[in-house]
Amino acid sequence: MKQPIPIHVGMADLVVSKHPATLTALGLGSCIGLVIFDQLSRTAGMAHIMLPDSSEAHKVSRPGKFADTAVPLLLDELYKLGTVKAQLRAKMAGGARMFPVSGKADHAIFSVGNRNIEATTRMLGAAGIRLVASDTGGSKGRSVEFSTETLKFAVKILGTGTNEI
Amino acid sequence: MDYHDKFTNIHMDVIQEVGNIGAGNAATALSRLLGRAVDMDVPIAEIVPIYDVTGHYGSPEMSVCAVLVRTEEEFACSLIFIIDEKKADIIADLMIPTDLSGMDESERTRIRNSAIAEQGNIVLGTFLNALSTITGWPLPTSTPSVARDMLGSIMSLAASIFGFVGESAMLIKTNLHIRGLDDEGLGGTVIMIPDPGSLERLLEKLGML
Repeated sequence: MKQPIPIHVGMADLVVSKHPATLTALGLGSCIGLVIFDQLSRTAGMAHIMLPDSSEAHKVSRPGKFADTAVPLLLDELYKLGTVKAQLRAKMAGGARMFPVSGKADHAIFSVGNRNIEATTRMLGAAGIRLVASDTGGSKGRSVEFSTETLKFAVKILGTGTNEI
Repeated sequence: MDYHDKFTNIHMDVIQEVGNIGAGNAATALSRLLGRAVDMDVPIAEIVPIYDVTGHYGSPEMSVCAVLVRTEEEFACSLIFIIDEKKADIIADLMIPTDLSGMDESERTRIRNSAIAEQGNIVLGTFLNALSTITGWPLPTSTPSVARDMLGSIMSLAASIFGFVGESAMLIKTNLHIRGLDDEGLGGTVIMIPDPGSLERLLEKLGML
């Protein structure tokens, strides 16, 4: 059997790969690790989304940075590798609120995690891609690893171990 | 606005000087609190692309404590103090007169977290005081909020907030040394995240815009 290629997906990165591969994103806080994969060919891609909406930004240098630009681009890249839309499924993790709410610190910018979850979910819905598993929200950061072998998303949280979705 | 576009070396020197005064005052305040000599390294201000921020100070999966405060009004901004989790707990235990060893885990964490909130409050508060002295603006701080998490997760939140307005983040790194304790891990870093428009106000106030 071919060894899976380990791929690290940094902030605002967007990567696609044929099977076998493992796609990893370390220390997601308010960011989202979104993986879309073809159930049969096992070709998969991951986006490390930082912000919900590119229209709020001055410029869009990396499409992987925003939910509204990352989802269509990720799908395009997957289609280029010959995936079939009906076989595509999505899993996502992240979108934590890193600091507990307290008085003035409860500023709108700290709800960016929640807005990332909403925007990513909405974009998947608009594209007609089924979200089959997610581990989002809460107040703890996550490291994620997707295996094209098992099609499982391993979600690691500091102090509480790993949860496979 | 992008920090790369706006910040020249002179601006960075000013921020560094603010950090310098802040660090000196913070060391004095911590030293009084702990009853031990405390030194802080000369802070180093850096502009880092937001995409490189999560791993800038070490492994994204390293365990850290982070303290967040906000200030509003004249210079609306968020400040985050990040320190190695072990180191934060060691300092917390020096601040707490009671022996915590018999206590259950969650209660011990709760008490330590309030001491860590105070560490962050001292460091970030003195930093803001220095800024307040230079600008003449009153800069009251919010109640500190504490998180224990992976370095990468804390840094990625900061990167995202910077990411709303540009592609770069401003980081100020220092290191706390406490006499009689071995130094290890990340000794303390301050991330100042001005709200959109705040930085322009600051530079204008300092006659630099």
